[in-house]
Amino acid sequence: MTGLDVSAAPPESSGNAWDAHAKLFKDSPFPSAAACATCHQSHYEEWSVSQHAYAQLSPVFNAMQAKVTQLTSGTNGDFCIRCHTQTGMAMGEETFMSVMDRHPVSQEGITCITCHRMEESYGKISGRFAIRQGGLDAPINGPTGPSELQRALSDPNYRLGDKDSPASREVHGDIKPFFQMTTSGFCGTCHDVTLPNGFRLEEAFSQFKNSPAAHRGESCQDCHMGTDPGVKSPYRLEPAAIVGGMPTKPRKRTNHMFVGPDYSIVHPGIFPHSPQAKEMASMREWLEFDHEAGWGTEAFEDNLPSDTEFPSRWKTPDDRFDARKIINQQVALLEKAKEQRLQLLKRGYQLGDLTIKRASKRGLDFEVEVRNGSDGHNVPTGFDAERVVFLRVTITDADGKVLMQSGDLDPDGDLRDSHSEFVRNGDLPLDKQLFSLQSKFLTTNVRGSEREQVLAVNHSVDPLPFIRPEPFSSILTGRPNGLRIHRRGIPPNGSRTARYKVSRRQISETPPYKIRIQLIAGMVPVNLVKEIQSVGFDFNMSAAQVASNIVDGHMILWDKTFKTGETSDRLTVDLNTLPDHPRASKTSTANHDG
Amino acid sequence: MIRSLRSGLYLVLALLVISSLQLHAAGGGLFSKPKPLAVDAFPERPRPLIEWGDPFLGTGKVQKGFKVPTGATWNPSFMMYGSLRTAVQTYDAGDRRFSEWASRLELLGNLQLSATERFVVGFRPFDRLNQYSGYQFEPGSLRGWNDHFRATPHILFFEGEFGEIFPGLDKNDHLGLDYGLSVGRQPLRLQEGLILEDDSIDLVGITRNALLMGGASHLKVSSIFAWNEIEGANNIKDPGGKIVGLTSFMDFEKTTFEFDSLYALSPNQSDGVFIGLGAIRRFGLWNATLRGAFSQSTETEDARTGNGWVFFSQLSRDLPHSHDLVYFNSFWAIDQFSSASRAPDAGGPLGRMGILFSAVGLGHFASPLNNHTHNNLGAALGYQKFFGELKRTQLIIEAGGLTSTDDGSESAEALGVRFQKAFGRRHILITDVFGALQSDHQETWGLRGEWLIKF
Repeated sequence: MTGLDVSAAPPESSGNAWDAHAKLFKDSPFPSAAACATCHQSHYEEWSVSQHAYAQLSPVFNAMQAKVTQLTSGTNGDFCIRCHTQTGMAMGEETFMSVMDRHPVSQEGITCITCHRMEESYGKISGRFAIRQGGLDAPINGPTGPSELQRALSDPNYRLGDKDSPASREVHGDIKPFFQMTTSGFCGTCHDVTLPNGFRLEEAFSQFKNSPAAHRGESCQDCHMGTDPGVKSPYRLEPAAIVGGMPTKPRKRTNHMFVGPDYSIVHPGIFPHSPQAKEMASMREWLEFDHEAGWGTEAFEDNLPSDTEFPSRWKTPDDRFDARKIINQQVALLEKAKEQRLQLLKRGYQLGDLTIKRASKRGLDFEVEVRNGSDGHNVPTGFDAERVVFLRVTITDADGKVLMQSGDLDPDGDLRDSHSEFVRNGDLPLDKQLFSLQSKFLTTNVRGSEREQVLAVNHSVDPLPFIRPEPFSSILTGRPNGLRIHRRGIPPNGSRTARYKVSRRQISETPPYKIRIQLIAGMVPVNLVKEIQSVGFDFNMSAAQVASNIVDGHMILWDKTFKTGETSDRLTVDLNTLPDHPRASKTSTANHDG
Repeated sequence: MIRSLRSGLYLVLALLVISSLQLHAAGGGLFSKPKPLAVDAFPERPRPLIEWGDPFLGTGKVQKGFKVPTGATWNPSFMMYGSLRTAVQTYDAGDRRFSEWASRLELLGNLQLSATERFVVGFRPFDRLNQYSGYQFEPGSLRGWNDHFRATPHILFFEGEFGEIFPGLDKNDHLGLDYGLSVGRQPLRLQEGLILEDDSIDLVGITRNALLMGGASHLKVSSIFAWNEIEGANNIKDPGGKIVGLTSFMDFEKTTFEFDSLYALSPNQSDGVFIGLGAIRRFGLWNATLRGAFSQSTETEDARTGNGWVFFSQLSRDLPHSHDLVYFNSFWAIDQFSSASRAPDAGGPLGRMGILFSAVGLGHFASPLNNHTHNNLGAALGYQKFFGELKRTQLIIEAGGLTSTDDGSESAEALGVRFQKAFGRRHILITDVFGALQSDHQETWGLRGEWLIKF
């Protein structure tokens, strides 16, 4: 009956789990985001569904960093995970373990104090920086300093900071002005990732520094923390805190949802972070709650056979109803984030018009332009070697039969590119017309050019890859020995043209035809899942389940359909798009007759 | 010998066929059942020889660091690491045989000040000017201990970024001051060693990265000026020589281009111009690199700088159901192409042609085939087989040959096999064997075993 088999998990009652949880918070050198939520509820809600909050929960991340560390004989150390859970690494946690066994603050990934307690401005340090330790009452950093905090402290109505009074609320002891928080360089502390061997994994900040947006004086925050994701937009003017129902003075309020190309593939009881969910059950208990089967809904509970068995935590209908309420809230929040993600990605990737180069009964050649709608960085940027952004082009005849397709997925859920196992093994043809913006890791072969790799580890030149600083200037060479990324993203304000040729053989069916063009964005390719599956996925997920959830999260950004006609001697194409298709919530594995 | 070479070629082809027939088990599908996290098999971080300050990629609290007068925050840490290679090997050159035990130790010190700023110092105490410490068994005239101790560093440089050193000059990050800087004695290699390959050259370089130009997804441009430790194409030091140049690479949608141009000034020999252009892309499942390089002396052609062209193509692909690699490389040298600088142990410019074209960089074990460019052409066909999920055991088989294009004075064929296996977290055992038939019908062969330790 349960959605997932968590029999391997140690038995835990929620009461014990919550007590243990509370004790851990008490002993923690870092406060939890949940503690900040007391006064900063709206900030917390935005952050709770953000990619920052998901950073350490991601089973793909956890397995990927473990696999890379395994392949490099441990020399990758805490490079990847340091950024994904600063607090966990600062507390000396193991680099590879189940996130369910990590400290509760460590589970929060890039939590509030990761940014708000950075000790100094460190520059492009690839996320390896010091954070200030201390309880909730230790000082934090803020862009504007302590004036409003001091006003609130002096106002007895807020009941703040009086340790002698049992009615007083705990508050951060000071707000240190930290101007850098308002600058792009602050984001560049993590979003420009160079390994100690000089491998430039991510270059979002470097790209930004050379962009028109930077020269115009805009910042990362202007487009990613404003009211409108993906475009420079005004900031809200709101209280930063609501203390016991009393708001502080309104001021510039930044959006902490930080939407981007990633999305959650874990149980909605686990993510978004929710104090209510954590109080209700442990992560392992949530994994036993089969929300997809409808537990806690009237329809499910009213038709329950009498002999149905439930895990001990979910035995009572009341608990299941309560859990369902939480799940509904979580799903609603995920939907909210999804809407913002769609908005962001549509701003970044823009689909141009169809241009017909040749249209006759002997074939059809056409082009589609994909533009970078941003002038602040490439699209994709950041972890661009694993970002799946592609065009799916489908031509169907009057009966709906697919005549030609590019950008379809193989049975695993991969594009038919050089990383598809079906293509590599000759079971499916290579998608020669595929338009994909995914950059590729390239490793230098022992001899014979460079080849694309799913993971940036080079075994061909060395059976024992070792990550150490290179003995040459990797700034001068731009790369370490034997490893680089072929960046393929569209530069700021730039565009790429996708070209398609359809032969007479492919269209000699029943006219008229429909040409459907979809621009689709996914988080990571399934071949990555396959490459890292040997180390196991957290939350007791199978590789197939991880892959399926990733493909389910593919988002159709743009969807245009054109109709062809036919005269006696030639094919015609109506360049006006047909009405939009209803937006599919997910893409599906298509056939590959083309 | 020719018969044995042909047999070798048949062996390569047979292995290709066998690999192509491997079953799907090599690739495997997505696991449909959950797999417990492989925490127990997770390797611990191998510590460097010495670490001071924050441990290198180790867990725990990161130190706060301190502000320096430029406004940057530094958190210095130092580590010493490197590798030891030690080999027993025999190289039979036909008329002479070299049997020896030779070692090469490379010790590197890395003083990291911040993420972008660091000092690097490197020592190779067991070798000097292509001579390696160890024991010579053959020839008898050289029998005895070889002592080529060197105390001076072969690497000593600083690298950093101007904008990171002086963050206060661009507090809002609008000016794009991320000029990369490297200065001091350092290794440099351009066009995969075609136009420059030097493991110790004194230079200053200024770099811009992630530039926007011409629709490229990525553009890096560097200018360099080298003033010392420059060798000519003949691997012999060019006292007073200098090199100025511009190097770049650009990523476009399908192709990466590398363009490098150098001008070498020599007080005693001819000045020269050196230009290299490389294009790297994939065609379907095939990997391809094509390079062309040109050298021209501005005065009289001499041993330091020759006039000529070389074209170098590389082709490879993975075999189905595996990550095994098959490659085919070829070159064509017109007249006497030469590099701007080649270290004493760098040999000729064709080392990337194949394992048969490159020396092992340890002792007298020379490259089985000539790796210099002088009116010749050649090819190499190779196969790299990986064993195990972690690919820590490998077999490389390669057949290659070359011939002169002018007077036919040079032609050679060779077959080589390398077997290498990693042990634990630090050790590799490497075995090489080759046989070659040179143009004068002289047979050469070699056999070696090497133990490589990383730390």
